[in-house]
Amino acid sequence: MTPGGQQFGFSLSAREDAAPGVDPTSAIAVSTLTSTARDILEGAFPPIWVRGEVTGFKAHRNGHWYFTLRDRMAQVRAVVWSKDTRGIPAQPDEGMQIAAFGNLSVYPAKGEMQFVVRRMEAEGDGLWRKAVERTRLKLEAEGLLDVARKRPLPRYPRRVAVVTSPDGAALRDIVAVIRRRAPMVEVVVVPAAVQGDAAILELCAALARVGRWREADVVIVARGGGSREDLWAFNDERLARAVIACPLPVVSGVGHEVDVTICDMVADVRAATPSAAAEAVVRDHAELATELTTAERRMARALTKRVDRAKSELQWIASALRNRVVRTTERRRARLSELGAQLNALSPLATLSRGYAVARGADGRALMSVESFKLDQPFDLVLRDGTIGARVTRTDRP
Amino acid sequence: MSFEKRLRRLEEIVRELESDEIELERALALFEEGISALRAATEDLGKVEARLQRLVERTDGSFEVTDFRE
Repeated sequence: MTPGGQQFGFSLSAREDAAPGVDPTSAIAVSTLTSTARDILEGAFPPIWVRGEVTGFKAHRNGHWYFTLRDRMAQVRAVVWSKDTRGIPAQPDEGMQIAAFGNLSVYPAKGEMQFVVRRMEAEGDGLWRKAVERTRLKLEAEGLLDVARKRPLPRYPRRVAVVTSPDGAALRDIVAVIRRRAPMVEVVVVPAAVQGDAAILELCAALARVGRWREADVVIVARGGGSREDLWAFNDERLARAVIACPLPVVSGVGHEVDVTICDMVADVRAATPSAAAEAVVRDHAELATELTTAERRMARALTKRVDRAKSELQWIASALRNRVVRTTERRRARLSELGAQLNALSPLATLSRGYAVARGADGRALMSVESFKLDQPFDLVLRDGTIGARVTRTDRP
Repeated sequence: MSFEKRLRRLEEIVRELESDEIELERALALFEEGISALRAATEDLGKVEARLQRLVERTDGSFEVTDFRE
């Protein structure tokens, strides 16, 4: 690049034959100078990453961001046009160390050199974290992150809906886990892009679709690991609200262990990876089989215990009954001998033994009066040791 | 009855069977019911692999699940 006017096509000089700016009469305008400088600068640098500290940040009402990027030795004015701010997760903080990607240019109105930034990354993912934090605080203020909001997962789901990319590793991992642990559980894929511009809207639409369908027992929202930018849809507030609005419990399995997204925070269960999400949703059938065996053993034991108790109750009743019978018999026997003694005391036999006799008619009744006898009537005389037949030969009455 | 319902019923049965106040006749009936629930649940566990499906929403808002080709 050689200095000199011709190659930039100046036509403002008074004299066509002389180079512009070589003498007072061919002096060029200020705007020509600055715009020429701009063209030279813009042509000299390809788009480039520059690192430095942010100072004097200002987000203008027109949507553009202005700040100064500096290090210990130097500084440069920087601008982010509003159309480019949308691709940057958050505004940088004062003093933040960033790397900015853009073009060096000149702002002719002020005659200043300025760096036109199109992308920006902060040290330690500062901007992403700031953006996540901002969304988190907003959701938290609305009470949407409350633990009390978390819905329990069904213990034995029949059908699991999976919102993810139909050809991603996440789906393969989830299907593999469910097949291994619970082959009878149905997996229904609800396809959605999980990165790129369409991701947020497709993910939200897929969640809404599952919610309208309502035939699944639980939903997994999943995506394999990726860069911050790849996972960005899962930090979007709109997706968070779609997860919250879903009438079914939602399990989030996004990225790797270390990535915690907004989606993870609002989901009913956060799993570290898609595989872990599948594990959280379906229980291992081997485990269930063990549980069934345990139930069987407990039932058998409980029944045996109950039957044993019934048996011992029965034994107790039988022995009580036997005791009662024995006691009753003894009481009766005693009463009997008592009555026997009484009877004995009253027995006419005792009188007979003393020499008395009793007259008895044919009907066996004792004849106790002269009037009971008729002449020639046969009767019995009962003595101490037997009976004799007798006949009336005479009746006397004193 | 779904597997989940069956397991829940089984849990109820075990709990009631293990309670001290249970009548003998009730215990016997529960045990019988428990064994048949157990058998059905075990059968469920052995069922064949379910298909992988895809949820499709038609323009009229109705839904359809179709086979998903892996």
